[in-house]
Order: sequence, then C-alpha cells, then structure tokens
Amino acid sequence: MKKIKIFSLAVRNLRRKFVRTFVLLLVVAVVTGTLLSATIFITGMKNAMKIGTYRLGADVLVVPEKNESQAKAALLAGEPTSFYMDRDVLEKVKKIEGVKKASPQLFLKPSSFTCCFNVDVFLVAFEPKTDFTITPWLEKNLKKPLAGNEIITGREIPVVVGDTIPFFGAPFNVVGTMEPTGMKFFDQTVFMTMDAAYTMAENSKTKSMQPIDIAKDKISAVLVQVQEGYTPERVAIRIEHDIEGIKAIASDEVISTVRRQLNGLLRGILAISAVLWILALLMMGFAFYMIVNERQRELGLLRAMGAKKGHIFSLIITEAVMISFIGGVIGLISGYMLLLTFKSLILHSLKLPYLLPPVMVLIELLSGAIIFSMLTGLLSSLLPAVSASKMEPYEAIRKGE
Amino acid sequence: MIEIKNLIKTYNIGGQTIKAVDNVSLMIEKGDLVSIVGHSGSGKTTLLSLIGGLTMPASGSVIIDGIDIWSMGDDKLSEFRNKKISFIYQFSSLIPTLTVLENVMLPTAFGSHDENAEEYAKKLLDTVGLKDKMTSYPSQLSGGQQRRVAIARAFINKPEIILADEPTGDLDEETEKEILSLFHSMNREKNITFVIVTHDKEIANQAKRKLKMGNGSIKEL
Repeated sequence: MKKIKIFSLAVRNLRRKFVRTFVLLLVVAVVTGTLLSATIFITGMKNAMKIGTYRLGADVLVVPEKNESQAKAALLAGEPTSFYMDRDVLEKVKKIEGVKKASPQLFLKPSSFTCCFNVDVFLVAFEPKTDFTITPWLEKNLKKPLAGNEIITGREIPVVVGDTIPFFGAPFNVVGTMEPTGMKFFDQTVFMTMDAAYTMAENSKTKSMQPIDIAKDKISAVLVQVQEGYTPERVAIRIEHDIEGIKAIASDEVISTVRRQLNGLLRGILAISAVLWILALLMMGFAFYMIVNERQRELGLLRAMGAKKGHIFSLIITEAVMISFIGGVIGLISGYMLLLTFKSLILHSLKLPYLLPPVMVLIELLSGAIIFSMLTGLLSSLLPAVSASKMEPYEAIRKGE
Repeated sequence: MIEIKNLIKTYNIGGQTIKAVDNVSLMIEKGDLVSIVGHSGSGKTTLLSLIGGLTMPASGSVIIDGIDIWSMGDDKLSEFRNKKISFIYQFSSLIPTLTVLENVMLPTAFGSHDENAEEYAKKLLDTVGLKDKMTSYPSQLSGGQQRRVAIARAFINKPEIILADEPTGDLDEETEKEILSLFHSMNREKNITFVIVTHDKEIANQAKRKLKMGNGSIKEL
C-alpha cells in the first residue's frame, strides 16, 4: 500500500458527503457554463463582425433613403430584401470628392426558385468591371471571371460546387462557395453578375411562374471605397449632401450599431455573471466554513498525529479546487452543448452576426474558464482553509467533541 | 526525559480567567509509566495536551530531551510530535473515510515514509487482535475495536512518549487487561514513556508512578 496522500484524503472526504459535493459541483458548473457560453457568444459575434466587415470591403454603402433600415437589416442579419434606385446615382457618387471606387449591386429576394432546401436565400448581383469586393475573392479562388450562368454561394447555402440550382426559371451552376463569415449577408447569399441578373429577370417573364421585373437602369446599392486621407464618415456626409433621396451608410456606422448592441448585451451578461460568481463564491465559502467546522476534531486529530498547518491548509484547498475543477469541466461541456443547441434561437432573436471563434481562441477561452473556475474554488476556500490551519490542535479536538 | 517547569494554562470563560493548570512542575524520566488521576475538570487532559504540544501554555515550559518544545516553530513542533509523541483518546479518533489499516498508517503520511510501515501496521493490528478487520471501515467496528485500532495507530511511528487519555474508558474487562498488558510490555521492551490519565484506580495502581491532579495542581501519590 502506498503512503496516504493529502489528495486521497481529500477525494475520500468529498465522497463522504456526496450530496453536498454534488450541489457544489453544480454551482461551479452553472457559473462556469454561463460565463463560458457568454464569452464564446460575444467573441463569436465580434469575430463575425471583424470578418464580415473585412469581407464587405466597402467603406460606404449608398442605398435609397427610404430603404436604410432594410439595407442595415440585410447587412447585419442577412434579411433578404429588394429595393431599387436609378443607375445614375452611381455616376453621381463617382464624381464626389474622396470617392476612389464605386460599384453597383443589385439585391433580389428570390421568391420563385424551386429547390430542395429551405433557407432564406438572398440574391446579390455585382458588376465585375467595377466590383472591388467579390472579384478579388474570385481572382484568388476561382482564377477566372464569373460567367452568365454561374454563381458563387455563401457557406450556409446547402449546395456544393458542381450543383445546378434554378432561380426565376433559369438554371445556375455553382462554381464556388465562400468561406464562412458569420454574417448572413454573406453566408446565406448567392452572388451572380449583374448581367446575369438582368437576363434572368428578362427571361423570368416567360420562364417563371413568378416573374421578376428589373429594368437595366435600376440598381439597389452603390459600394464605395474612399481615397486615402478621407474618412468614410466624411465621404458619406458629402454623398448625402450632394445626391438627393439617398442614404450613405459608413461601414463604421454599421459596426458601431452592432457594437452598441453587443456592448449592451455584454454589460447584461457581465452583470448576471458577476452576480452568479459572487453567489457561487459565497455559497462555496459558506460550505467550506461548515466543512471545516464539522471536521474540527478530525483536523485537530490530524495535527496531533503530526500534520503541519500546511497539510491542513492543503487538504481544504485541494477539496475546493477539485470541486471547482470537476464542476468547471462539467460546466464547460454543458455550457458549450447548450450554446450549440440554442445558438440559432438566440441569433434569430438578437439578429446579430455570429461565427464560432477560431480553434486557438476557443482553446484559450476553455483554458481561461477552467482556470477561472479553479480560482473560484481557491478564493472561496481560502479563509476557511487559513482558519482551519490556524486552529490550535487541542481547541479543535475539544470543540469538535 | 520530560521536564515540566511552572506550567500555567488559563482559560477565559464568561469574562473570568480560570487556571486549568496551575503552576505545575514535574519530571518524568524516560521509560517511566506514570498515571494521573483526578476528578473531571481537574486539568488532567489539559496537562496531557500541554506535554504533547497541542496547546500553548500561558507561562512555563515543557522540555523534552533537553528541547523546550514551545521554542520550536509550529512546523518543527509538528515534526517532533509526529516522530516522538503519540496520543490515545477516550473517544473514537479514527478517520471514517479510511480503512482500519489506513487509519493505523495515517501518521506516516505526515513524516518520512518508512517502507516497512505497512508490515508494521499489520503486526500492530495483529497485536490488538484486529488483523482480520484491516479492510473494514471504522463504522463497521464496535467502540472497543475502534479504540484498539487507535491504540495500534499510536505505535506506528515508534514514538518515545505515549500520552493516553482514558485509554480503556469503555472497553470490556478482558480487552482492558490486554491493552494494559500491551502498554506494560511496550514500556518494558521499547522503553516508551507512558503518561496515562485515568479515573480507574486499578489502572492507576499498576503504574510505576502515581500522580493526582486537583484544581490545576499536581501532587505525587
């Protein structure tokens, strides 16, 4: 038989009061799970915003004034929408001081395609000649321009390269799928050229049950890249000033809208987490105070056998850290599972972009959560452990009788 | 040798200072077997705890083998207790989560590991007649059996001093005789010093030296 260790004494003590140990495990699990899922969620949203904004690639988005909220909803929540304005807005925007590049896009809400999946698909058409957001991706990944019957799809559209899917009666070949961004605007969108979109609209009059009517002089939005030395906000103000009936949305404005929502959410989650954490600390602290109290004689006896103050301190701390470690792991697993289960529901109600953080970030978050939960155990048991180790052995034995 | 000099231990109860041990001076030679008798509350148990370094005196000193135990730091004193002193209590002092064998071996957890500790623990359990209960837990033993395990445990680190507080309190006559015989043989063969606090006159009379405590003071009988 090996020498009895403080660790094995701690394990047996925890087993002795199984119900109490279980309740403490549960408390730590709830706190850690809540904190972890909240942190992953917030990090995921920030991650999606970062990648999504980068993918958008435009500094300013010009849309019809009356459709500003629809445009923002399309960008942030990927809500399919369609609105149109005259193409001459594009020419006017190009002439504005500070505008480096301007490219039109056409937003189409498909209502007539028949296919085998049930996702709100958003059709976005772009002009390859002037485009500076989709084309770089094509050059990097497809190394060829998009043909009239070809489309590229967002990651959440359940198709693979080589599939053919119909829109408004016209078949389109899927030639590429984009990397996930967490923004529905990209992940649930099908991209085609503007020529293809106009032809599709024209043909839909004879080929589709629900034809679409878009004149060639109509566009939905103008994406703007500003020159160096100009801020998107300044150019947006100038565009709005010079062109009537339009709204120029600076990319920072989109981000700050989300950031405001995120910050509100973050503050709420942090407040709840802080309250939960303090409650857990108090509960565990109280539980360990009780544990020390009811085991006074036992601890006194250990001291009489030659246990040092450090042995008693380690024993209490080991029990607390073990509870918080196991509880933390349970919390991590259950928190992550709950997050995956309810992700769609939460995102649907919040209408915010989300992309699971990269593996390394996830590992950091998981390690952080485990350290945090162990720290909770350590902090909560610190005072009881110190007081247990400082007890005079004779007093401990006498009071515990 | 245990040398106790002007030992005073006080307690503050309800604002009043009570002297549990009042200016006790005493010499106990190595290998002595001393019994201390006295009424409840006379300070016997407190004196035993003072000798074992479990409680700090208000004044005075306890010198064991030339070392004032209260001049050591707490860790040194713990090591000293672990190696040289063992306690036997009148109540069940076993750890409920450990088996009988583990309970006997428990003091070795706080000192240097002895490879032969397990064999010695089994031998001690055999001596107290509980070799067949090695894997049992304290809750599966009778009060008398638990006491015998605690007595076996007291010898595991081969101590020089055993401080026993009513060691045979609730044991049957036969077991009591066996335990006392074990104490005497250990005292003779291993030259272990025994200080036994007891109410039992018969046990007290078997000691080499008899002391009586009353109102915190001690006198030779």
